[in-house]
Amino acid sequence: MPSRTAVGFIAPLLLLMIVVFDAPILYMLALGFWSKQGGFTTEHYGNLLEATVYLKVLASTLRISLIATIANVLIGYPLAYWMRSLSPRAQLVAIALVITPFWVSILVRTYAWIVVLGNGGIVNSALINLGLIDEPVRFLYNELGVTIGMANVLLPFLVLPLFAAMLRIDNRVLQAAASLGAPARTIFWKVFFPLTIPALSAGALLVFILSLGFYVTPAILGGNRVSMVSNLLDKLINEIPRWEQASAISTLLLIVALAIFAAYRHFDRRVQS
Amino acid sequence: MIGSNALARRLVAIAGIAGLIFLIVPLVIVIPMSFSSARALTFPPPGLSLRWYEAFFGDARWMSAMATSASVAFVSSLLALLLGGLAAYGLRRAPVRGEGVIEANFVAPLIVPTIIVAVALYLGFAKIGLLGTYVGLVLAHTVLSVPLVIMVLTVAIRSFDFRIEQVAWSLGASRAYTIVKVVLPNLAPNVFAAWIFAFISSFDEVIVTNFIAGTWDTVPKRMFNELILEINPTITAVATLLIAFTMLALAAVAVLLQRTGKLRPTML
Repeated sequence: MPSRTAVGFIAPLLLLMIVVFDAPILYMLALGFWSKQGGFTTEHYGNLLEATVYLKVLASTLRISLIATIANVLIGYPLAYWMRSLSPRAQLVAIALVITPFWVSILVRTYAWIVVLGNGGIVNSALINLGLIDEPVRFLYNELGVTIGMANVLLPFLVLPLFAAMLRIDNRVLQAAASLGAPARTIFWKVFFPLTIPALSAGALLVFILSLGFYVTPAILGGNRVSMVSNLLDKLINEIPRWEQASAISTLLLIVALAIFAAYRHFDRRVQS
Repeated sequence: MIGSNALARRLVAIAGIAGLIFLIVPLVIVIPMSFSSARALTFPPPGLSLRWYEAFFGDARWMSAMATSASVAFVSSLLALLLGGLAAYGLRRAPVRGEGVIEANFVAPLIVPTIIVAVALYLGFAKIGLLGTYVGLVLAHTVLSVPLVIMVLTVAIRSFDFRIEQVAWSLGASRAYTIVKVVLPNLAPNVFAAWIFAFISSFDEVIVTNFIAGTWDTVPKRMFNELILEINPTITAVATLLIAFTMLALAAVAVLLQRTGKLRPTML
């Protein structure tokens, strides 16, 4: 097919993307430098450094995202490692169990934690029935609840690529190490683990990028007490209209996300090659 | 006494199973709760009833949200499939200048945090008068579904042998006829998978919808706003219906792809 015909096939989608995606983002970038009185200004970026409320929200976003990412690695790595040791049939079942939640609405998965972790929820009733506690533990409407919910929603993003990378590791490499007399612990830490570092780094970075933009989980499980960047943006757009300020914060978030994505691509290429 | 290797293997198995339980426990718990007869969210439910399903299906606002969700998901997924399919075909069948940039642009909505898309579309739509309109909602959902369609279909088209099309042309078939009668039937399972993924992605979308939909209510938007205000057990019924819907859709995709030998273990 000549290139001109191909352009005809691509043009309709390209037009849609330009009008409904590229142009609005460029407009948002510009608005961050737009003064209410008209003309160019950097005051919205200056505000970010001066107003402690913005700095606080940015700091808590970074902290929650980091904890959720670490929790993901601690839960996801053993899970992927265990899945690798299963029979092919059991592996398919495990993959299905990891993929299904991935496709179920994030609202459902977040909401379910209210049922599980609430004061009358299954965890608290179990702990009380076992006599371990007298009063229900407050899991919800604090950073703990938000972190648990986020770790749960993000886990498939780490486990699936990590598991795929682990499957590609040649068993003969491990057998070679064993035949040379290396104990199992040494084989794992000196041979297996280093081979999974690129995939682990890529997965962790992906989880971290996604954490930074989380909106639904902090809004529901944080109960207005935990604010992340997304919830701040919601306030600046929908409650106290300060569109220029929201644009400046979004621009900053976009730059951070794209920078981490570049690092992710770097590790992902090493996984693929 | 068990050796340290056997102990390590057992610990890994325990950690792995605990991880899987952590992943699926929310889905497994919410289903029995939806059949509870009680208003309080206690587990196990004190009795069984269908009252929360009755509350859902008997509520005109939920039903109208359902209709909006279904129609927006239907129109936007078909639009994404049509435009995305054409573009994926064009990108794979001829060299185009700036191909890499164009393809990156098509998958960008998946990489840019959704909250930023929401802010940008709110500001942009406010400017051109699409805020709170049905058309704006459909176009936004289309853009968010495009990356899934492009990713599924570019892989499929790349693996489809170009020579088969060339044979059809050499026998005198027109390009349009070749696409409809040769390419599409061969890629039907992938097209179906792309359509289901686009439909689910639109049906579940909450962030952008919450920003730009105005008075239009979708099921996720209504669910989100109810959850912020109060915990109503009707939500457990909605959640169970959404889980059932997603699992049926995924099962349909898996069965179809398996039958045609196109199932890949880590297909997302």
